[in-house]
Amino acid sequence: MKILFWKKTPSKNQQQLKEAYFTASQGQLIRSRFKKNRTAKIAAWVLTLMILSGFFADFLSPYSPNIAGRDKQYENGPPQFPIFWDENGFSARPFLYTTERYRSIETNFRWVLTDNRDKRRYLELWVDDWEYSYIDVSWDLPGKWFDVDIKMLTSTKHLFGMNEGGIHLFGTDKTGKDIYSRTLHAIYTSLAVGTLGVLIAFVLALVIGGISGYFGGWIDSVLQMFTDAIRTVPPIPLFMAFAAFMPDTWSSETRFFFIASILGLVGWPTLARRIRTHLLTERSQEYVLAAELCGAKPSHVIRRHLLPSFTSYIIVDLMITFPYVVRSETALSFIGLGLTDPVNSLGALMRNVSKADVLLNYQWYFIPVIFFIAFVLAFVFVGDGLRDAADPYSQTKK
Amino acid sequence: MLKFLKFTLTRAILSLVTLLTVSIIVFSLMEMVPGNCAERYLAFKNTAGQNISFADIAAEERRLGLDKPFPVRWGTWVGNVFFKGDFGESCILRLSINQLLSDKFWISLGLCLAALIFSYLIAIPVGIYSATTTNATSNNIIRFLSYLGLALPNFLLALIIMLFSTIYFGESLTGLFSKEFRDAAWDIAKFQDFLSRAWLPIFVLGWSATAFAMQTVRALMLDEASKLYVTAASARGIYGRKLLWRYPARHSMAPVINSLGFDLNRIFNELPVVALILTLTEAGALLIDALARSNDQQLAGAIIFLLTASIVFVNFITDVLLALMDPRMRKGLMG
Repeated sequence: MKILFWKKTPSKNQQQLKEAYFTASQGQLIRSRFKKNRTAKIAAWVLTLMILSGFFADFLSPYSPNIAGRDKQYENGPPQFPIFWDENGFSARPFLYTTERYRSIETNFRWVLTDNRDKRRYLELWVDDWEYSYIDVSWDLPGKWFDVDIKMLTSTKHLFGMNEGGIHLFGTDKTGKDIYSRTLHAIYTSLAVGTLGVLIAFVLALVIGGISGYFGGWIDSVLQMFTDAIRTVPPIPLFMAFAAFMPDTWSSETRFFFIASILGLVGWPTLARRIRTHLLTERSQEYVLAAELCGAKPSHVIRRHLLPSFTSYIIVDLMITFPYVVRSETALSFIGLGLTDPVNSLGALMRNVSKADVLLNYQWYFIPVIFFIAFVLAFVFVGDGLRDAADPYSQTKK
Repeated sequence: MLKFLKFTLTRAILSLVTLLTVSIIVFSLMEMVPGNCAERYLAFKNTAGQNISFADIAAEERRLGLDKPFPVRWGTWVGNVFFKGDFGESCILRLSINQLLSDKFWISLGLCLAALIFSYLIAIPVGIYSATTTNATSNNIIRFLSYLGLALPNFLLALIIMLFSTIYFGESLTGLFSKEFRDAAWDIAKFQDFLSRAWLPIFVLGWSATAFAMQTVRALMLDEASKLYVTAASARGIYGRKLLWRYPARHSMAPVINSLGFDLNRIFNELPVVALILTLTEAGALLIDALARSNDQQLAGAIIFLLTASIVFVNFITDVLLALMDPRMRKGLMG
């Protein structure tokens, strides 16, 4: 009780802060809460980095991820790291040694790679190599009408390359394809599959959950029965049943769309249930009644009043669903029922590691696995952080 | 008591309806596979050098009842499954599915249930500990592990364990039986052999289910521990472990029991891929065979239906259990 008189009146700055807090929009509140979560923030940075590297995979990777970009002279080659100095002296430009390969009776007629430490090759930035397009849509879907072939923003520039020979940051696989380039492209594919799958699931969930939650009654009961039935079927066996429909003759693009749609078709029930529960609680609120009394149609009430009330929850739910979709795709591709060459997906890359030989001799095959784990972890952390941030009661609980 | 019976009955009927819906889905799926059983039956004749005419196919279709409309065929299938427990014949292997599956299904169900029990044996104590402990380091380790359980898929875990054990111990740890027991009849020695090998699949299958269950338990405990009845109890002088076990821990168990069915679903989910890697010759691997290698729609449909049926059954049991255990549930359900 001693310095009551001297108690500082809230400074203007603090008052402003307080005011900002009370007048902040939902989005601003979520953002500020999210920023306080250190793990989620780091995960968000990692995720952004991975997404960007996925989108600019063509520019960032020195070689084409497909068979066209294989390095015949460097099959099953270990990772190469550019260095600045060795016993022969210092170089301002990072360099690699020239690799030579030979086989003889001593090596049991297996190709063996050796470094020639006297021949240096130098790293170059901004090099010309294979051609790619930032907007490259060429789908070969069944039916002539759906075939699309658009190429825009074509370029041949790549971030880095060598003045001669190749550079393989993550090594090469048994056909000489660059694992670094493949990993970047695989991240892009996984992102694309996940986005498409989540979108399809989201639309279905929105329609079915929306109808069932808004109308209630017997429509709700029937739809819920259906949703529950689908929810009890274990998805991966179901995916596999669907995936078995795919004839071998399908192009890789068709397979891609098919897999993504299956993931969406099987993944919607959980989302639909949440949307329904939320709608059920919201629709008994007064503002909905007011809108209805004004003569608003159901579709209008759902779109203009109910959906905005939980957009943030939906976004969070989508974020949380995403890693599971990616995981399912990976599992499918891993057993060879999902995406296959020449599409590079993380699951397809992981297929290569399933032999003991790889663990003994070619450990760098495991690098995509690390990327996959980091990718899923980052998504899970960001999703959790967003969920906590979007929950207005999360602070009062603690 | 009468009300309880009524509740159980309603719940049983609801489960049956769910099963029927699932059977429609599974059956339509089987129908959507290009080509039908009759063509498959006759395909082998083609490889034997005989000619097949459309009349042959039509005759075979009639023999198998494939010329009847969809609802009738579905009705016969469901009727056979529900009343006789008969899934018909596999299209490719031309063997009774019941014969093909019987042992394999029970073994894989046993494995999955063991994995479920294993995951809860770990998840409940660890989850409660993580929610109540003040030790930041151990808490962070637990949280990290549970996140890793989400990010490191079971099949990768299986692969890594298998590769390492192959290289460092010279034992691949695959399969469920040693060579000498594979075709032997069940006896104590075979059972011991089975147990000595089953721990790896059980651990791997339970891996991500444990992570999920741990997070659920932790979140529920955190929720319950901050409720007023806990404060009231501690005001009455109950403290420590006694307070924990009597109040929040007991209350947070109800939703955990409720989620058992979905955890089983999660484990079934992992089964086929893990089974493929660890070369377990039970239902999971058989499913892949049925689907990928040969498009065997009858067999695949039967397996999916059986898996789902066991989940529905577990859901039914947990609901009845909950009603028995939790007075709030009982009141809500029976009015």
